[in-house]
Amino acid sequence: MKKTPERVERLAAEYVLGTLTGGARRRFERWMMESWAIRQEVWFWEHKLGELAARVPPVAPPASVWTRIEQRLWPETSSAKASTGGWNWLWAGWSLMATAAVMVMAVLLMQQPEPSRQPLLSGAVVQKDITDPLWLVAESGEPGQLRLKPVAATPAEGNQDYELWVVPEGDGNPMSLGVIPVGKDMLQIRLSPETRAALSVSRTLAISLEPKGGSPTGAPTGPILHITKLHPLE
Amino acid sequence: MAVESGQEELITLLAGVARHDRSAFKKLYECMSGRMFGVCRKLAGQQELAEEALQDAFIRIWHHAGEYHSERGSPLSWMLTIARYRTLDLMRARKVRQTAGDDMLETIADDSANPLDETLRADGASALNGCLEELSDSQRDSVLLSYYKGFTHEELATAMSTPIGTVKSWIRRGLLALKRCLER
Repeated sequence: MKKTPERVERLAAEYVLGTLTGGARRRFERWMMESWAIRQEVWFWEHKLGELAARVPPVAPPASVWTRIEQRLWPETSSAKASTGGWNWLWAGWSLMATAAVMVMAVLLMQQPEPSRQPLLSGAVVQKDITDPLWLVAESGEPGQLRLKPVAATPAEGNQDYELWVVPEGDGNPMSLGVIPVGKDMLQIRLSPETRAALSVSRTLAISLEPKGGSPTGAPTGPILHITKLHPLE
Repeated sequence: MAVESGQEELITLLAGVARHDRSAFKKLYECMSGRMFGVCRKLAGQQELAEEALQDAFIRIWHHAGEYHSERGSPLSWMLTIARYRTLDLMRARKVRQTAGDDMLETIADDSANPLDETLRADGASALNGCLEELSDSQRDSVLLSYYKGFTHEELATAMSTPIGTVKSWIRRGLLALKRCLER
């Protein structure tokens, strides 16, 4: 199609108006790439018809739009902000950690899955620069029957203990699974149906540093040392 | 929300965004998101798509702020144009009118004596140095319906109960007359 001035004038106006559609619109966009004069023609209309758009009354968008823009542009830093409520304690604790115990997710297949309606979950708590996992965690036999095996975990400094938590999805509070051992002893934890339900959704565990015997308040009080994601054994 | 931002301030913010200054980007969003969202929603006629288009528009602004220059018009109209294009793209990609919009089109068609609501006509009429006043009613209504509602030729033909060839000619002649007036 020849780029006569009349045709360019007409197509530029219809491009901006929006009535130039489909293949014709894409073809015209190629014309625009090739010619400054054609782009100027388009800018004329964008500028003039922009006056019409400026007449439209403003409408406040919901706050979630900004959150989603941040998530799309900066997924690495915005995930903390995106989580609210029950998660805040966790990220606050996380940021407090001076000696960054960097978590890496790992899946360890420790056993064959048993036939059951819900998949059995397992995972490992690992730390950067340490070859072996600190702890291995796996459900054994049936959902809710959690076994935790210390591997490379070392005793907490001072008069303190490690405490294990289920981190629920959304705004719920973390649920304590009790103080966990280091050394050789395997720990068996029986999850309540409520705790197991939360875990099956979030699949997230956290370990915090607490006074000897565990958190006195029922919520984490010390820094969050580790967060780990469990995976279904399938 | 209805922060009336001076064009100078918008240019300063855009320059900041071009340097990938996040706080400038946040301020720009605070200044402009309401105006842009108003345009997206009027065009899309639905909340969800308008929200998505607004996201797309700001992500585009983040990556392309450096491409703004004065020949493209005021920073305000440049950003409103981006919001419009993103909304149109999503509407066309999802064939919004053909699916969700059929009822609306029929409603408009039933009211075919005046498919353009009065607020749209009043909004448009005083703009553009009064040049829209020089167009015939049909020319002006079809231009404004396309601009504010994103109607294609086919949709205009249905909405205005008029053969598509006639609608095309209204648009073509309307735009030409508008340009001649604006150039005077």
